[in-house]
Amino acid sequence: MTSKNFLAFPLRTFSISVRLAFAIHFVHTHFYEVTLTQGESMLPTLRVSGDWVHADKQFRRGRNCQVGDVIVAVKPTDPEQRVCKRITGMEGDLIMVDGTVEHGDEKFIRVPKGHCWVTGDNLSSSLDSRSYGALPLALIKGKIIAKTGGDKWFERIENNLVDAKE
Amino acid sequence: MSIGTYIKTGIITLTWIPVLATVCDHVAFFGHIEGSSMKPALNPDASLGWTDTVWLKKWGIHKPGSIQVGDVVLLRSPDDPEKILAKRVLAVGGDEVVTRKTYPRPVCRIPPNHIWAEGDNIHSIDSNNFGPVSTGLIIGKASNIVFPFNRFGPVPNGGREARLSHLNRYHNSLKAKELEDETDK
Repeated sequence: MTSKNFLAFPLRTFSISVRLAFAIHFVHTHFYEVTLTQGESMLPTLRVSGDWVHADKQFRRGRNCQVGDVIVAVKPTDPEQRVCKRITGMEGDLIMVDGTVEHGDEKFIRVPKGHCWVTGDNLSSSLDSRSYGALPLALIKGKIIAKTGGDKWFERIENNLVDAKE
Repeated sequence: MSIGTYIKTGIITLTWIPVLATVCDHVAFFGHIEGSSMKPALNPDASLGWTDTVWLKKWGIHKPGSIQVGDVVLLRSPDDPEKILAKRVLAVGGDEVVTRKTYPRPVCRIPPNHIWAEGDNIHSIDSNNFGPVSTGLIIGKASNIVFPFNRFGPVPNGGREARLSHLNRYHNSLKAKELEDETDK
């Protein structure tokens, strides 16, 4: 009887911590996640280091994603890495691959079905669709809705693309 | 039992649901094969009224080198993120593939961490339509057929050899044999 009591407490603690860890993981994959970002590709929206981003996971697999949204996705050329980019084209859009080339050298691509075109906000230092091509929507893990970093606790990241006016 | 005990049991059951769901998502689970694109290895006869269920390994499949040529994988369709396809891996990153007619180029080089996925059935929408796919789209590797029980066992081999290097080797060995035969004469 005493040995049973002796084991009951550690077993119960273990069971509760396992369930808690999986519950957190479940929320992280299906609903909401806060992660630290790194890299210069999203300057000036996100700093090189030290910014925490809030991701809404209900947008995973590109559900309801629009042009201009900042998303977090699995890197197509290395599934163990995540990238954070802005969608700059959805399926069917005609994309100019690189806007910095001389007039006459532009290359255009039609984004295939079920894909989107992603680029970093810092075009001069970003590895994105310009090198690995259109991103399958299924690789999108969530949409970045806000960031925490610097002196602000919760700063919304808006869809800041505006329609071109004639 | 009192109402309090029922509520307590209910809450404890609820707390185990995320554990189960995560294990099914990331470790291993059953996978259902629909459609005839993997015929005859899977779903050999649609008129019999059943479809195959396979055992899907999901743990560690995104590590480089874990997906090999000949494996049957379930992957999210690059065309439609809500659709899941069952295909055979014909080539992995670095290989050169001899494509079928629907692909615009006769030979395609597979980028790193991508695969060439093709159905065993020639009537299949696969890499010949959408090109090499990222291994990030793979959700599991089919290892065994578990249902129907009379088909229980490892997933049958199949598919064609599409890697240019292997085809060249085969071609060269045939040529060498011809030469040998000629010299024998």
